[in-house]
Amino acid sequence: MSTFRRLAPWVLLAVALTAAAIGPLLPGLDPYHQDLLARNLPPGPGHWLGTDSFGRDILARLVAGTRLTLLVAVCSAGIALLGGAGLGLMGCVAGGPARGAVYAAFDMIRTLPPILLSLALMVSLGVGTLSVILAVGIAFMPLFGYVARAVYEREMASGYVAAARVLGIAPAAIAWRHVLPNAAGALLTQVAIVVPRAIVTESVLSFFGLGVSPDVPTWGRIIATAVSYAEQAPASLLLPVLALALTTLSLSVLGNRLRDRFDPLGARA
Amino acid sequence: MQRRDLLKLLAMSATAGPLAMPGLLHAQNAPTPRRGGTLKVALLGLDTADPHRHAGSIAVQQVYAETLTSIGDDGTVRPFLAERIDSSADGRTYTFHLRKNVRFHNGRAMTSADVKANFERVRDKVKGGWLTGAMKLARNIETPSPDVLRVELANAHAPFLNLLSELWIVAPESEGWNETIRRPIGTGPFKFGTWQPDVSFQAPAFDQYWQAGLPYLDAVEFDLRGDRDNSLSLRAGDLHLAYVGNDKLDSLAKDRMGIQFLKDTAWYFLSFNNRKPRPLLQDARVREAISLAVDKQAYMKFVVKTAVVSDQPVRPNTYFWDRELEQRDPHAKPDLARARELLKNAGVDPSRETLKVVSWQSDYAQVAVQMVRQLGFKIDHQALDDIGAQRLLGQYDWDLAPFHSGPRADVYLRYARLLSDGPSPMLWGGIQDKELDALINAAVSSPSAQKAREGYLQAWKHVMDKRYTLGLGHAADAIGVAPKVRGYETGYTWSQNRVDGGLARTWLAA
Repeated sequence: MSTFRRLAPWVLLAVALTAAAIGPLLPGLDPYHQDLLARNLPPGPGHWLGTDSFGRDILARLVAGTRLTLLVAVCSAGIALLGGAGLGLMGCVAGGPARGAVYAAFDMIRTLPPILLSLALMVSLGVGTLSVILAVGIAFMPLFGYVARAVYEREMASGYVAAARVLGIAPAAIAWRHVLPNAAGALLTQVAIVVPRAIVTESVLSFFGLGVSPDVPTWGRIIATAVSYAEQAPASLLLPVLALALTTLSLSVLGNRLRDRFDPLGARA
Repeated sequence: MQRRDLLKLLAMSATAGPLAMPGLLHAQNAPTPRRGGTLKVALLGLDTADPHRHAGSIAVQQVYAETLTSIGDDGTVRPFLAERIDSSADGRTYTFHLRKNVRFHNGRAMTSADVKANFERVRDKVKGGWLTGAMKLARNIETPSPDVLRVELANAHAPFLNLLSELWIVAPESEGWNETIRRPIGTGPFKFGTWQPDVSFQAPAFDQYWQAGLPYLDAVEFDLRGDRDNSLSLRAGDLHLAYVGNDKLDSLAKDRMGIQFLKDTAWYFLSFNNRKPRPLLQDARVREAISLAVDKQAYMKFVVKTAVVSDQPVRPNTYFWDRELEQRDPHAKPDLARARELLKNAGVDPSRETLKVVSWQSDYAQVAVQMVRQLGFKIDHQALDDIGAQRLLGQYDWDLAPFHSGPRADVYLRYARLLSDGPSPMLWGGIQDKELDALINAAVSSPSAQKAREGYLQAWKHVMDKRYTLGLGHAADAIGVAPKVRGYETGYTWSQNRVDGGLARTWLAA
């Protein structure tokens, strides 16, 4: 693998993270300020990347959007991780009908594509940042549940777990002390895979007007606003699309590399 | 009342001022219309096949069902299926002389008994809606001859004839008459053809239409797929007539597409929750502060360049508008310093308060939000589709609502929503005010246009004093017209079939 291919996703991710981290600290970048007399301006002095249809600075909104979009995606992935892996492991430990019920629920969730399920959840939860995080998180929970079950079954069949059982250690303690640490690598890999998908899902929800409030600058909202003015202000559409594409691409590439490292079956294939 | 007086009153009772009649002006030297072809149209939707139960989507059904009166292009009410209308001096009795050559789409001639049956159906079987209240006033409905219908009202009702422009006459033998009409048999230039809800509606021409020689088209095909960008379909030739957003006007003009505006305007306003206001919004100083944060000029110019600012529900320079009230508008210009002072006096720290805003997914709502946010409030903005917004508004768990309301056949329809028991009052915050009810009802029941005007203005002044709703301005909706469309002229409202215009007179060039 060339140095460029190896480093490019890291560089792109670093740019996104830097923008998210220091963006709000930069003076003069107010993503909400509207100048109704300066709508759809091309890039130039005063507005390096131009303005949108409300006269808002595109650079300020992109920077703020990076922070919000990543925050929503990471929080969603966190909820999916905690809910999916947590419920999955608890179900496995409890066994019997409890395990059946948990995984039946995961199977039901999995029958719908995450975007469709998130759309349905948003309709019932109502729009808002917390609703988006919850809806996207629930939609991706089964992925973590299945990983947790696979690791649980693998570890429970191993010799050291059999020894622990003989010593009378409770199944819950075995799961907490032995299974969970062994599942960490696979679960973190899954997080890396889910984050870019969560970014896209959130963007789609926001694009359809079901995500965060209309003026909150997530990438999906920025794109939805810019679509109507693609002819007059192409920069306001192209730049957030580019940011979305490059960030999700770099995260996906990094996620795949993590999976190759932590998944021996995948590496052999 | 003499007929001349009646027509004068009717002319004044509409919300328009005197306007030219472009249709007639263009009539001279017009080329000979070409017959045939299918006009493809995307305007409003069709929410029911029952014309008496419609919920506001009137652009489609008017091509197959017609009315006794019609709102002309200049906003005045005119006879349509009625040839002549007489009114008693007290404004309580109306006599309609029907046209003799009108046929339903099944070939049967329309009689006064048919019209009476329609009046009674609306009065006795339809709940809610614009017309039910007015029709409840119809104490006696008589048919002295097949061509004459006489209606006696319990009391004078100024908007009666204007409201009849939305009481569609269909044959009582229409399928579903006793419950919900499923296949209306009307008298319009086009017949009720194939309807796929939310998808399309085909209306073939009626060859026995009472206006000889009309329509020119073979059929009209409506695209009912709802809110979307029609400008691309217009440019591609997939549509001939379509509603277009203000953000598309420049690009359509560049491509030499015709753009026409409705003759009446949509009214833009910012409502407070009046039904269940939380303590913060019960303080008049807070309402005043929020009102002073809104820059009406910038707001309306954002909607469209041709918009006009006004603090009243009717557009400037029309009969029911008042110049003095406009000039004394305390919120004509934003005053953030005074707004902040008012909040301080009220002991409100805006940074600790979150205002809940409900709106459609319209860009202008974001402008309202940002203007209010300048005071330091946090904003929880829910932008929803029509059904979602109505549901949320009806719960009255919100603070502010920036909306607009389309053209109306009568000024009363602006004020009806402000009544305590008015239809769909949510957009105006569900006002409950007996004093306001009395003012509006006095205006409505006045037989004199002058008295009605005074009454409506008093009512509106009361709304302003109580800070129920902040009037922002007016802007006309735009319709894109493909180059090969001829003879089309937008009307005062969304009506597509009127006594002096509409799709019956439209044709397609080769």
